Amino acid sequence: MAMITEPTPTITLEGARISRGNLTKARIRWVILALIIMFGIVGGRLIQLGSVVADSTIEGQTRDVITATRPAILDRNGLEMAVDIRVPSLYAEPRRIIDVDEAVEKLSEVMPEINRDWLRKRLTGDKGFVWVKRELTPALQERILRLGIPGLDFLTESKRFYPAGPEAAHVLGAVNIDNQGIAGIERHMDTEDVALLQSIGLARGQELTPVELSIDLRVQHAMREQLVDSLTRYQAVAAAGVMLDIRTGEVIAMASLPDFDPNDPATALLEGRMNRITAGKFELGSTMKTVTLAGALDSGKVKITDTFDARFGVRFGRFTIDDFHGKHRILTLPEVYKYSSNIGTIHIMQALGKDDFRAFLTRIGFDAPLALELPEKTRSNVPAKFSEIVAATASFGHGLSITPMHMASAMAAFVNDGNYVQPTMYKRSLEEARAMYVPIIKPETSHYMRYLMRLNALEGSGSRMNKMADGYRTGGKTGTAEKVVEGRYAVGKNLNVFASAFPMDNPRYAMVILVDEPKRENEQSGTTAGWNAGEVTGRIVAQVAPMLGIAPDFSEMTDAALLPVELR
Amino acid sequence: MIKTLNIVLTGTALLALIGVYALKYSVEETASAKFELQATIERQEADLSLLKADWSYLNQPAHVAPIVARHQEALGLQPIAPAQFVTLDTLPMRPAAPDTDALNALFESLDAGVDPADQMIGE
Repeated sequence: MAMITEPTPTITLEGARISRGNLTKARIRWVILALIIMFGIVGGRLIQLGSVVADSTIEGQTRDVITATRPAILDRNGLEMAVDIRVPSLYAEPRRIIDVDEAVEKLSEVMPEINRDWLRKRLTGDKGFVWVKRELTPALQERILRLGIPGLDFLTESKRFYPAGPEAAHVLGAVNIDNQGIAGIERHMDTEDVALLQSIGLARGQELTPVELSIDLRVQHAMREQLVDSLTRYQAVAAAGVMLDIRTGEVIAMASLPDFDPNDPATALLEGRMNRITAGKFELGSTMKTVTLAGALDSGKVKITDTFDARFGVRFGRFTIDDFHGKHRILTLPEVYKYSSNIGTIHIMQALGKDDFRAFLTRIGFDAPLALELPEKTRSNVPAKFSEIVAATASFGHGLSITPMHMASAMAAFVNDGNYVQPTMYKRSLEEARAMYVPIIKPETSHYMRYLMRLNALEGSGSRMNKMADGYRTGGKTGTAEKVVEGRYAVGKNLNVFASAFPMDNPRYAMVILVDEPKRENEQSGTTAGWNAGEVTGRIVAQVAPMLGIAPDFSEMTDAALLPVELR
Repeated sequence: MIKTLNIVLTGTALLALIGVYALKYSVEETASAKFELQATIERQEADLSLLKADWSYLNQPAHVAPIVARHQEALGLQPIAPAQFVTLDTLPMRPAAPDTDALNALFESLDAGVDPADQMIGE
């Protein structure tokens, strides 16, 4: 009974436990290893997927650029001048095309104009993307879809469409097939901000704020129609015109013929298609007399009541400058302008002084490059220093070439109480314009100029114009310049200009019209500017003045009120 | 104890499985519906852009002017001459208003079958 607690030899299988423990540890290690490998694979795959760069470029261009839209261009009344339309473009993935021959066969059935060999070469190979034909019609897209060729697909592209066709060609310019502006306002827009928007992919598939131009399409149409008419009526080689709102500097209309169709940009490259208003510089002939007189009257050295001896030509060494329609008597200042006397104008310029005259040309912006938004611009060519004879010829418009746009903005300033404002192609409010006004002549001088221009329309070379635009109080000056051909003045080849403004009692618009190498309309008519450029101006004014809200006024009091006090 | 827990867990796993798959399919469905809608929108935008272009083309002065010229003769259209514009003060004053009472009396008597003109002749 003794509690013999015999210490029973407990069989402790130390080894077994240890070995089991070791086994477990080994298993756990294996599992950990397996898990690490598994998660490693998953993680590796994730990294792989994350680092894949999807090829979003199409033949070197990003998809965004191709489908990018451009803002619509509106005229000042909100009528569309350029819109984007969405059109399908056909592309192929050659590596997915199974039977190239079959695809070529079927495609050329639908589009017979495509060269088969070219198409076969295009579709063979291992490329991921090739264009087949861009900018198709929806009907053609339907037919190609019906063919059911694998590896062909469509991408919706934006295509520029100009509903007015060639109406405002030189204003709008054109875009290339990738929707980038290559000329005109389209190009200017790209240099501004559209290109930036497109490059960061914002301009894709969403409406952009439309761009509002200063152009009035109705006036633009009327002007272009009259210019087209002048090409046949006077058998002229070219014609151009520009109209400005004198108070804001907005370009209301601008046309240059021959022009092109922006929907077919290749036509813009044909010869003679340049924009004569901004990219052409010309000797503008007697229209310069307006400038000379404005400068002289403004200096105070010449008064409106002064008289000038136009009995004899002015001699410079071997040369004698004479008048075209010579009166050969003593002329008053208004008569110098009315009869377009070269001699009188030279005397007026000499009274002003040649250096002051040169300085005045700088003041009215004839040296400065055009500030207009169009990229097609040229610099004017005015000699830096005037000698006696150069100043004399310059006073009546020879020996210096400026763009018609320079002349139009100077005209605008002369009748706008002497305030110069930079012309613009975009809409501008009167307040904005007023902040930019630069006074170049005194308001009194502006008043004299209005009187002189109206006088020339009533009694001088502008009378044919005035007959056509009766009641709209238009005033202006003609200019008939012999063209320089191979370094000489060519006889019988004239560039005819008419620089005008209307209505003179409260001027609103200034216009410059050019007709290049006009012939006689009939036996009774002449070839000087009054017969062609003047008539064109008159017809345009008669057509557009009612659109612009200018009421005709036949009262003689209106014209009489323009007469300066000194001459009453 | 462990058994019930296992059953509950298996059940939850199964439910989660079904839930996840259902979600996956519904998302796929929504995605395809979205693509379809996008395609429709794109097509309609394309159509709209064409219609807009058409509209602005038809509204262009360059398009309207030839139509006017074509129908000038038939409709007797003429450009407005400057002399045809007048201001308000050149228009004559409006004539005195018609005598409505007398007219009403006339119509009433006519309705009643009595012509005042006949009566005047009768007198």
